[in-house]
Amino acid sequence: MTSLPKKQNKKLGLVIDLDICVGCHACAVSCKEWNTSGHSSPLHDIDPYGDDPTGVWFNRIHTFEVENEINGSKTVHFPKSCLHCSDAPCVTVCPTGASYKREEDGIVLVNPDTCIGCKLCSWACPYGAREYDEEAGIMKKCTLCVDKIYNENLPESDRVPACVSTCPAGARSFGNLGDENSEIFRLVEERNGYDLMPEQECAPTNKYLPPREKNDQFSSDKLSSVTQDNDFTFETWKEIIKDASK
Amino acid sequence: MHPSKSTIFFTVFSGTGYGIILCLSCLSLITQINFDSDFKLILIIVSFAFICSGLLSSTLHLGHPERAWRSFSQWKSSWLSREGLAAIFTFIPLVLFYLLWYLENNLFIFFLHLSSILCLVTVYCTGQIYATLKTIPVWNNKLVTPIYIINAICMGALSIYCLACFYEVKVIYLYHLTISSLVLCLFFKLTYWYYINKNTKSTANSATGLGGKNKNVSLFEGPHTGKNFLTTEMINKIKKEKANFLRVCFSILTCVLPIYMIVQEASLIIDIFILKLSFFIIFIFAIIGMLIERYLFFIQAKHVVSLYYGENKV
Repeated sequence: MTSLPKKQNKKLGLVIDLDICVGCHACAVSCKEWNTSGHSSPLHDIDPYGDDPTGVWFNRIHTFEVENEINGSKTVHFPKSCLHCSDAPCVTVCPTGASYKREEDGIVLVNPDTCIGCKLCSWACPYGAREYDEEAGIMKKCTLCVDKIYNENLPESDRVPACVSTCPAGARSFGNLGDENSEIFRLVEERNGYDLMPEQECAPTNKYLPPREKNDQFSSDKLSSVTQDNDFTFETWKEIIKDASK
Repeated sequence: MHPSKSTIFFTVFSGTGYGIILCLSCLSLITQINFDSDFKLILIIVSFAFICSGLLSSTLHLGHPERAWRSFSQWKSSWLSREGLAAIFTFIPLVLFYLLWYLENNLFIFFLHLSSILCLVTVYCTGQIYATLKTIPVWNNKLVTPIYIINAICMGALSIYCLACFYEVKVIYLYHLTISSLVLCLFFKLTYWYYINKNTKSTANSATGLGGKNKNVSLFEGPHTGKNFLTTEMINKIKKEKANFLRVCFSILTCVLPIYMIVQEASLIIDIFILKLSFFIIFIFAIIGMLIERYLFFIQAKHVVSLYYGENKV
């Protein structure tokens, strides 16, 4: 049924730390690798080795420049995949019921056997999370690696989405954002995690953590003392880093 | 948005077919529509052909047209599903109306009104599919659905007018209906063009959450160098001059030219064959104008996802 579930206790989702992301695209590649052989397989590419390759990806990394008159400009890498919205408009517009939101964990999925490929869900999504597979004639999207996170054949530490286990910088966290006692929920609280395009009223589950402001105190005073201090050790470095991340 | 040929063709052609039924229903309220059987037959064939060709073409853009029947299930939440259901249900009273009207049974009037209500519901649902999409601000507009309805009515009225001219049938009040619906159509569209792009809410700042006071966000680098589904489906551009030219084309072809021709018809002293031919050409022009209007409706619609691909506001 394409009506949204009335009750949602568990909201599985991702938290993306824009302060940490280095824009290496490893999460996007790992996502494609896992999903082209998993639940939504295969994720078709058209003209993959030609002049004009296109294909289905669930995760894409944009890079934005934030011009700041006071602190100077900043480059922010911005990974974006399905945000598994609580009020997912892509689900309610689906005429066949192929697009649905799971009551048990809030994951938004597409049933490949009933999707007619009308593309209306991709129009309804503000975030561009859905991509049409030209070869298969159906819509595809991030599954939050539903075939990985519950997979009992994998060691427990690996039961997270492929993008999370791959990120070399630890910019991505996975967990239950509906549980106020969860580690991920507290992380969002602490760092003032926010929604993308709140004016679209989709109530996205995934949150983004803003890049930290530059700490001038840290960069000038502490660093200059470091260069003059002969007793400088690795422990001192750790202290400085700790200070800076406060 | 990408102007999909099958969707444009569907809304124009089915709209015209439904419009013919709506106009017949309107006319039957104020006058007799017991025309001679030749004229009835041609109206039945033309309206049915328009409705069916449009509906069939609408399935062409689907990835799996053979699964189209599944789209009747989600009427509780989806306007697309409601449109499909309404379109199917319309056929029941419509076919009965055709039969009884042609056989001169007076019960036809009941089925005509019933099918015209369902035609209206179908066109309303089509409009709502677009009007309820918050992601496309120029569609998420109170005028979109009325425009779909008035477009259908004016094309229906014009079809009947041209056919009446061709069959030399005099239909009372058809003149008024055609002129007023064409004027309304132009008025609604001009108002729509005047008001769109004036209520922009989503910006690159809100899309990324990175902007703010003294902070300006702009795309530094896209996720890839080539195109993808999102850029081809949702991000299409047209030059302002070209769009303005096409707006003028629509206004002239669909509204101004037919109005002029209908008003001037009595004072034109031309051969009856030339008159019939010119109304045939006028009708073809009006259809072309309507296709242009629908094309513009798509190509000028900006989707908020373009904020992630370099656009600063939508």
